[in-house]
Amino acid sequence: MEEMKPLFEDEYAGQPAPKRVLAYMQHKQENGRPIAGTYCAYAPVELMQAMGITPAVLCAFAKATIASAETVLPANLCPLIKSSYGFIMEGSCPFFSMSGAVVAETTCDGKKKMFELAAEVKPLHVMDLPQLPDEAEAQENWTRMIRKLQGFLEETFDCAATDSQIEESLKKSNRRNQLMRKIFDYAAIHPPVLNWQEMFDISFMALPYDVDDAVPVLEGIIERLEERVTKGLHHGNAKSPRILVTGSPVGGDALKIYRIIEQCGGVVVTPDCCTGYKLFAEDFEEGTADPVEALARRYLKIPCSCMTPNEGRLAALSKMIERFKPDGVIDFVLTACHSYNVESYKVGNYISEQHELPFLKIETDYSDNDEGQIRTKVQALFEIIS
Amino acid sequence: MGKYYAGIDIGSRTIELVIVDETGNIAEHFQRDTGYDPMREVDGLLSQVRYDAIMATGYGRNLFELSFDAQTVTEIKAHARGARATFPAARTVLDIGGQDSKVISLSEAGRVSRFEMNDRCAAGTGKFMEIMAKTLGYSIDNFGHEALAAKQEIAISSMCTVFAESEVTSLIARGEDCREIALGLHGSVVRRVCGMIRRVASAGGGELVFTGGVARNPCIRQLLEKNLDRKVLVAEDPQLMGAYGAALLALESSDQ
Repeated sequence: MEEMKPLFEDEYAGQPAPKRVLAYMQHKQENGRPIAGTYCAYAPVELMQAMGITPAVLCAFAKATIASAETVLPANLCPLIKSSYGFIMEGSCPFFSMSGAVVAETTCDGKKKMFELAAEVKPLHVMDLPQLPDEAEAQENWTRMIRKLQGFLEETFDCAATDSQIEESLKKSNRRNQLMRKIFDYAAIHPPVLNWQEMFDISFMALPYDVDDAVPVLEGIIERLEERVTKGLHHGNAKSPRILVTGSPVGGDALKIYRIIEQCGGVVVTPDCCTGYKLFAEDFEEGTADPVEALARRYLKIPCSCMTPNEGRLAALSKMIERFKPDGVIDFVLTACHSYNVESYKVGNYISEQHELPFLKIETDYSDNDEGQIRTKVQALFEIIS
Repeated sequence: MGKYYAGIDIGSRTIELVIVDETGNIAEHFQRDTGYDPMREVDGLLSQVRYDAIMATGYGRNLFELSFDAQTVTEIKAHARGARATFPAARTVLDIGGQDSKVISLSEAGRVSRFEMNDRCAAGTGKFMEIMAKTLGYSIDNFGHEALAAKQEIAISSMCTVFAESEVTSLIARGEDCREIALGLHGSVVRRVCGMIRRVASAGGGELVFTGGVARNPCIRQLLEKNLDRKVLVAEDPQLMGAYGAALLALESSDQ
């Protein structure tokens, strides 16, 4: 079979995804663009971009910084929070260093309390995220919080955006999301035409880039994917178990879950997490009276386990199962990520009862000492599928 | 001459080898400690036997695959196959081995449908039992009998091997009865696995089979039956189930 061409045609092809994005951010900064750090999918990047601010997703996925963090934070805390804070303490996250401020949200308890400590190092604005998203007040409050963020950013970076600029920005985001969904559809093909590493790299680039810069890159990627289809190139084969991975965020050292699935002969067809499909799954409503309200409505639909009840996650899973036709579902739960851990029971029952698909929960952290055990569980899942 | 099929289960504590004939009957079986050089132990075992195909399971299966011409299967499928061959009505399998414990739910046809595995620490595994027996001055073979001789149970609150050991040490220092402490330790292991069984066990009824070295412990068996209010089936050599299942799978895959 002919060899696959990389989807990116730049000098960063084959390198870790942050390198490309870091170079992009540096370029933006040299041209006078302010940078604001974000930690979470709830950060309304459309607002920042409308104001001429470039969002930078901050480092949170390395076991290397956890030891530093544990001099301050308790050891039995989620690795994502420990790693994030370790990067801040060590000053080893280049995105954090270049950020003039950080946008944070009240998602889980560990993050909220970590933000108090991080605020001592850098200006940090915490948005009060409603956690009962179906309540009428949630919509109102989140709209207000986005307006408040706008005020904070105006003051901190001395820049502004009109409502029509915000409307323009969310329209652009919709354009990007449509292209992203088109790209993810190549993973829905059997066997898939793009793999987990490519989906991760593309998502990592697509979110923080100015949409005007991202669109030509995404269009080029679609062309190369189409070329693969024409040539009959794909990842895995017709027998490779197709896996949907849901749960806690995946990146850096947590990518081991995707890697192990691939090493065991499977293909990840849906990375449903905050670093994957979830960000691009839905569009903003265009042409409303208040674009900030439209932002709020879409953001509250993100089915994070910090929400209650989080029925949206089950509905989203059903949609993804229909679209990507997985043979099995793996729920990836980071150690001490209580909300995803508790929710796993509900998700497991839903997957087995509603979709009659094999389900496996993997609870792990960023270390590599349990790869053998994870491999055994994944192989056992594949034995069930085959 | 007929053909023979081997199954080898390279576990964290012991290695089992089972040879079956063309009809799936056990012709020979062996067991030895995994030790520090598992592949040397494997060489020693395999040099004594003749076989036409071999299937490896257990945590050492991938290492084995590198140096031998073999197929591999997870411990989950291997134990399920072995348990089902021994007890055809089995729908739930509990396996407590040297360093992990697992519960497997089987479909009516005997296929694995669900499983749960505790493998991140030694809590409630064979290794836990070994360390606790030693702390109390019992041999592992007598540990269950001693616990059964207790008049009452002293509750042990720690499940972590390290913490439980210090809890036991302080109970001994307080002059508590060692058998009662032993019963408490058995009780804590059983309560833990019962939670796992209730989560995973097949809703369709059927029988519960207990495999792995810990299944030889009579006190664990008795407490399990009491706690779950159902019969627990144990094979004559429960620790052979993984290797036996692997041997049967080697035989079945050669049929295809």
